[in-house]
Amino acid sequence: MAEADSGFNYDPTKNYDDQICAQQRDIEKQITDEQSLVSNILSFDVLKTEYQDDQVFQNKIQDIKSRYKHMRKTRGDGNCFFRAFGFAYLEHLLKDDSDFPRFKEVASKSKDELVSLGFPQFTIEDFHDTFMEVIDKVGNKISYEEFFQLYTDQGISDYFVVYLRLIVSGHLQKEEDFFMNFVEGGRTVKEFCNQEVEPMHKESDHIHITALTAALGVTIRVEYMDRGDSDKCNQHDFPDGSKPDIFLLYRPGHYDILYP
Amino acid sequence: MQNQYSMRSPAVKRLMKEAQELREPTEQYHVQPLDDNLFEWHFTIRGPADSDFDGGIYHGRIILPPDYPMKPPSIILLTPNGRFEVYKKICLSISGHHPESWQPSWSIRTALLAIIGFMPTHGAGAIGSLDYTPEERKVLAKKSNDWKCENCGCIGHILPPVTKASEKTTQEAKELASQIAFQGEKPKDGSQSSSTQAESNSSSTTTSSATTSAATSTTESASATTNTSEPASSSTPTTSFASSSTSPGSTATTSEGLRQRRLAPTQNYQNAELPVHVRSNETFSLFLIIFLVCAIGLLVLRRLYVAFNWGFLNEEL
Repeated sequence: MAEADSGFNYDPTKNYDDQICAQQRDIEKQITDEQSLVSNILSFDVLKTEYQDDQVFQNKIQDIKSRYKHMRKTRGDGNCFFRAFGFAYLEHLLKDDSDFPRFKEVASKSKDELVSLGFPQFTIEDFHDTFMEVIDKVGNKISYEEFFQLYTDQGISDYFVVYLRLIVSGHLQKEEDFFMNFVEGGRTVKEFCNQEVEPMHKESDHIHITALTAALGVTIRVEYMDRGDSDKCNQHDFPDGSKPDIFLLYRPGHYDILYP
Repeated sequence: MQNQYSMRSPAVKRLMKEAQELREPTEQYHVQPLDDNLFEWHFTIRGPADSDFDGGIYHGRIILPPDYPMKPPSIILLTPNGRFEVYKKICLSISGHHPESWQPSWSIRTALLAIIGFMPTHGAGAIGSLDYTPEERKVLAKKSNDWKCENCGCIGHILPPVTKASEKTTQEAKELASQIAFQGEKPKDGSQSSSTQAESNSSSTTTSSATTSAATSTTESASATTNTSEPASSSTPTTSFASSSTSPGSTATTSEGLRQRRLAPTQNYQNAELPVHVRSNETFSLFLIIFLVCAIGLLVLRRLYVAFNWGFLNEEL
């Protein structure tokens, strides 16, 4: 019936899968081609050209420029917060390893915690292994180039992101009594984790950042560049009042990395 | 198999581990990768005991995307079962409002348990679902024990007999089914009806001989080796084009002719699989014929009556 309506005639000798898939692949490929998982160091001129006719953003870029030296972009695939967080923090550890032993301890213990919370051991172990491999390489002082290559390998990078998502999910469920007050849409914390935290490409919100920083003991400052009237970006430290290890730039729906 | 794939790829490592973990058949399920393609697996599951599928043994394929476990596997049932269309990809998602939410921490085992638990649920007209009567499903369940897979042979005796130990697995399957939903992939070009067309196509190809199956297996292994970078794509002989594949499209190696040949040897139940609506179509035409005969009869009678009446009236005048 639908065929008649749309004037479409089914030809059983043809294979339409190819056309549909080709189109979908093209779109995905475009994003992949145009945006690397994590970019090289960039100057803020990139942002300035992006918002050429936008005075509000021009003022805010000027503000950021006065306080930060440069930036790094991440791919806008919904995983950007986790991707940016992982890259910025590991890069931080490469330069300054004073926090490394503490972080490694937390990271290796996290697997047992997740399993005790009821996560499936078999798959958790798989993600944790890759997660620890990356951390160990950073601990062994690999060069910046090696690190960049490792972290921009899609397979490894995605595994790293999955495990960060699992850590957030675990922390939210462990502290359910507290976080249930912040879950929207009448969902339980568990449902929220299944729908908004664990699946890939789900964007991160305040609640994700709060949970990740608390679970790993890492401090972040986020600069919010939005449509607000002020000439300056609002900043927020996670947790409140801490001295930040890493700096992220937020634009509506996206996170990038900042360097002071 | 190891040499064929990059061991640096997390997907390959993960699938190797899963294959190892799932090597031994359990009472409810058994699943293993094909010898020549780590991204295509074949499974055998037992129909849930407290359902129309009790006693049934069902076989099918699992196609893994190249970026598994970031993207979900698709499942294709091969044994006629009366719940899911055969030779049609069914995808797995969380039910209800969030259909794309596959979680990377799920595994092939999760997907299998979910489909076992999902079998007794009502199809409710979802794409890829069939609503056969309990009687028809029971007949198919019985027949399923003799069903043969061109790759795995007889599947009726793969699973060890059921003991008390199965209760826990069954419970787990039920819980998963409440969380996960299956449906056929949405036809993106708006041609739903073609799936039935494809199905009848496949059941009309009745040639089943040793030579065709041999030809099939060679072409299959050939396509599997030529295409290791996109392994899922090399073997995507889904009958219905409407089930647009999520795996990066079928390549030139899978021509329509090849598809038809591949289907032939496994289609053992054309009769059983000929769906209800074929039979109901016959009843409908019979009804129509009787109705028309009656209508014509009535008209003739009326004509006669009118003619007679006039004659009568004329006489009176």
